Amino acid sequence: MTDLAPKTTRRAAETPFWRDARVLGVLAQAVFLAVVVAAAAWIGSNASQNMLRLGGSQFLCRDGTTSFRCAFDFLRLDAQFAISESLIPYDPSDSYARALAVGALNTAKVAVLGIVLATVLGTVTGIARLSSNWLISTVARWYVDLIRNTPLLVQLFFLFFGVIVLFPPIRAALQPFGLPIYLSQRGINLPRPVVMPSFGTWLIFLVAGVGLAAVAWFLLGRREVRTGQAINRPLWAALAFAVVAVGGWFVAAAGGANNQGFLVSDSAGISVLDDLATTTAVRLGLVDLDELPGALASGALTEDEVEQGTLIFCGVKDAPAEANLTAQLRRAGVPFAFERFPGPNEAIGGYVDGDCEALVAPRAVLMAASIPASTIVPVPETPLRFSLPRIEGLNFVGGIKLSPNFAAILIGLVLYTGAFIAEIVRAGIQSVPRGQSEAARALGLSEAQRLRLVVLPQALRVIIPPLTSQYLNLTKNSSLAIAVGFPDLWSVAYTTLNQSGRALQVFLLVMATYLAFSLIISFFLNWYNRRIALVER
Amino acid sequence: MTTHYRNLQLVLRGAADPPFNWREFIHENILHTPWLALWLLALTYIAARVAWRFLVDAPVTTAIILLAWALSLGATALGNILHRHTPATFWLARNLYSSITNALVTLLLVLLLVAGARGFIDWAVVRASFSTDPDVADATLARWETPGANWGAIIDNFRNLMVFRFPREETWRIWVTLAWLAALLIPTPYVYGRAAFRRSPVRRVLTWLWLLTPVVSYLLLVGLSGNAVVPRLNPDIDWGGLLLTVIIAVVGIMASFPLGVLLALGRRSRLSGLPAWLIWGAAAVLTVYFLISSTVPALGQTAGVAGKALALWPLLILLAAWLFQRAFRGNVVALLSTIYIEVVRGVPLITILFMSIIIFPIFLPPGMEVLGTWRVLAAVTLFAAAYLAENIRGGLQAIPKGQYEAADALGLSTPRKYRLIILPQALRAVIPAIVGQFIGLFKDTTLVAIVALTELLGVANLISAQPDWLGVHREPYVFIALIYFIGNFFMASYSRRLERRLGVGER
Repeated sequence: MTDLAPKTTRRAAETPFWRDARVLGVLAQAVFLAVVVAAAAWIGSNASQNMLRLGGSQFLCRDGTTSFRCAFDFLRLDAQFAISESLIPYDPSDSYARALAVGALNTAKVAVLGIVLATVLGTVTGIARLSSNWLISTVARWYVDLIRNTPLLVQLFFLFFGVIVLFPPIRAALQPFGLPIYLSQRGINLPRPVVMPSFGTWLIFLVAGVGLAAVAWFLLGRREVRTGQAINRPLWAALAFAVVAVGGWFVAAAGGANNQGFLVSDSAGISVLDDLATTTAVRLGLVDLDELPGALASGALTEDEVEQGTLIFCGVKDAPAEANLTAQLRRAGVPFAFERFPGPNEAIGGYVDGDCEALVAPRAVLMAASIPASTIVPVPETPLRFSLPRIEGLNFVGGIKLSPNFAAILIGLVLYTGAFIAEIVRAGIQSVPRGQSEAARALGLSEAQRLRLVVLPQALRVIIPPLTSQYLNLTKNSSLAIAVGFPDLWSVAYTTLNQSGRALQVFLLVMATYLAFSLIISFFLNWYNRRIALVER
Repeated sequence: MTTHYRNLQLVLRGAADPPFNWREFIHENILHTPWLALWLLALTYIAARVAWRFLVDAPVTTAIILLAWALSLGATALGNILHRHTPATFWLARNLYSSITNALVTLLLVLLLVAGARGFIDWAVVRASFSTDPDVADATLARWETPGANWGAIIDNFRNLMVFRFPREETWRIWVTLAWLAALLIPTPYVYGRAAFRRSPVRRVLTWLWLLTPVVSYLLLVGLSGNAVVPRLNPDIDWGGLLLTVIIAVVGIMASFPLGVLLALGRRSRLSGLPAWLIWGAAAVLTVYFLISSTVPALGQTAGVAGKALALWPLLILLAAWLFQRAFRGNVVALLSTIYIEVVRGVPLITILFMSIIIFPIFLPPGMEVLGTWRVLAAVTLFAAAYLAENIRGGLQAIPKGQYEAADALGLSTPRKYRLIILPQALRAVIPAIVGQFIGLFKDTTLVAIVALTELLGVANLISAQPDWLGVHREPYVFIALIYFIGNFFMASYSRRLERRLGVGER
């Protein structure tokens, strides 16, 4: 019976007001908040006093008044500084906002490429660390120890000032292993695949190939279950895909045979591509173009004479037609020269004016130009052509150009982060108990199946969280691009800061952008982490 | 050798029992797995091409390597066939020649490594010049087609790399500081490690001396103005080179430690939060105020959907209040600690360094001047504190909940609980992580070079700009990379030893 209990007991059990944990907690927080707010107010008053002494130009509005609301209005002003590389069109008359966007895109470019390449390098090195070959594992260990124990900035400076800047000039560019990759003072030039009009047809065949491979996979799986015999499904599926892809390549090429061509006047006497080889040989005074390398080596012909004798083509800059023609002529061993114009009309105008002897463009454009007394020579086309870098004058044309600064920051970041990822991958794989591998072997799983089905899923759970922080580190370390002259977000922001004088606003924008990058990366990786997490009670 | 001799005898006599079947070997390793056979073919081709290239370039060395490889491979194969190994061939069979692929890859790697090592030694020693006279160095290097390293630049600039512009007549102060630190460091492991010294006066004296070290080092390295013995130095000018690197790293770690502990405790704070009515009330008041003062006029001015949407920003205050309630239970301490840690960990160190140089002066009272060096030290401390806080939080989370509950059951107040039970365990668990943090900080001091303080990397950059040593680019970087590598390598080994010592038998 509750009404028999004395009332005084309840009040005596209550703690007094000044010893109640909840009240003390709130009081402590109120004091803490008061201290923080007081400090913020002090800082704020200092800041506004200092701003006033600077003239208050930090918060200038468009109409001349000063207000906190106009803090970011300076972003509309002209940037008036150039940025050496950009993914979007930019010139100094664009706004600060666009300049900062260029910087952010450059950082994103470095971050994405860096993350992909560093993961590949790190995984390969991590697995190499666990190789049974003592030499391989020792070399991997030295690489990881050396890179992890030296500061990133020292590595970047060494790469840039000690390696890339000291590359030979363009004419004497290095080619490692004889590949069409050129290392020179101007940076690294790599070949680039160029998509031709017939790529669309080939794409259909590729999709069909994937479909056929999937069907083969499924049917062979059913057959495996029915007969009980192991069938090498990946091999057959890959074979099916390859057959369709290769067949589709030739079909697409045949279909696009009339897509490309070049225009010459009738008087040149060239009606098919082979005539070009003959004509050039005659102009150079050779019987056959096969003699050209020998003639150059023996000195019978100088490079200048070859340049004078080759046919000059007019074409549109960076157009697929050029890549197609150069690839075809390269295979035939025919030397050529190019005059580049900004657009097809200018190219036609140049040909008509006599700047060149032949006009390269898609067949439709050539027919539409309807220039009298000229022949259109068809040039075969394949769905993809490789545009190789070539020295013309003082520059490389064709292919992808990596500036020395971009190459330095990318290679430096990939090497540095790759070493850390290697350690993470090694630790992840070693965290899987040996019994798992032994059980897998006892069950008769092949090595590939053991790795794919038993080791990797368990290792990935240990690898992903530290991998996230390495990706974040790579993104943050990309801000060191300012030391090697690559215009990433921080470099552009620093120039903006110096130019516009708005330090606080620029810092807030930069920090917010880096925080946004970090949040995006951790969001994706946390989602992936949750997906592969162990399903537990 | 005896084993090989006996093996050969066995083979020649035909007396070896035939567990090794050649047909089976070929069938197993080549016919059964055509992909492997193709791979081996490709690998053999590549190895042959590379070996031929090297044979043409450096015949003697390559011939020696090929001979050694063939002989060791033969001995190992013999041992494998007859199941009789010497210790050496056993190691080779397990580690270098465990399969055909491994044997070929070993050959390739040895050729490449030897070529690389020879190239490096050529550059660093054979073709190098060690003279500190620029003219002699130029003459020495001009004799070679590709000149080697110019170490004279480093030797000449050694004092610059170590202490840069520290006044020569005050160099004794650095030596005294080093002597003091050495004198304290040597007895420390013994005095603090052995139980015999617990409560002894020696330990107390040592502790007091350690506590005095910051004061002593300040007096020696900065000095007092107007003093004759230790006149005041200007850190912005006088500190440089390795001295500045070590000062930044050590001060960074020491000063960030208390701040990191506070942040970690703050983030895990379990204080009861501000009551909901207070938070919602304040949020409502602020929202209404800003809606009236800024949104309404802005809606009238701007056109366009985006502009109007941006003008509705005060509604975000309500969202923030809800998040505050939900994620932090209204705990202000946890909220502010988390915000600080996440923001500082999400931005690059270089932004924080520049912020300290450019923005800190705006936040200080007008007229108050703080030296650049102190600003950089403050930035490094604040940066390291955030990372340290996360490490310590990991340690705090690793302590079993039973410890907290037992402390509460014993009636310990919160400060006592943390001081006597929680923090000793947590800190012991994270000492390896803290050493890793110190290594990272030691490397990160190089970023200070971009903010115009000349520490080790800054001095290295200046070396190639000197008229005597123009164009000497690589040697300074290689040298300071060596310094950093040696320092970090030893710290990492120490940390590994520490991990092993703490992990065994302590728990």
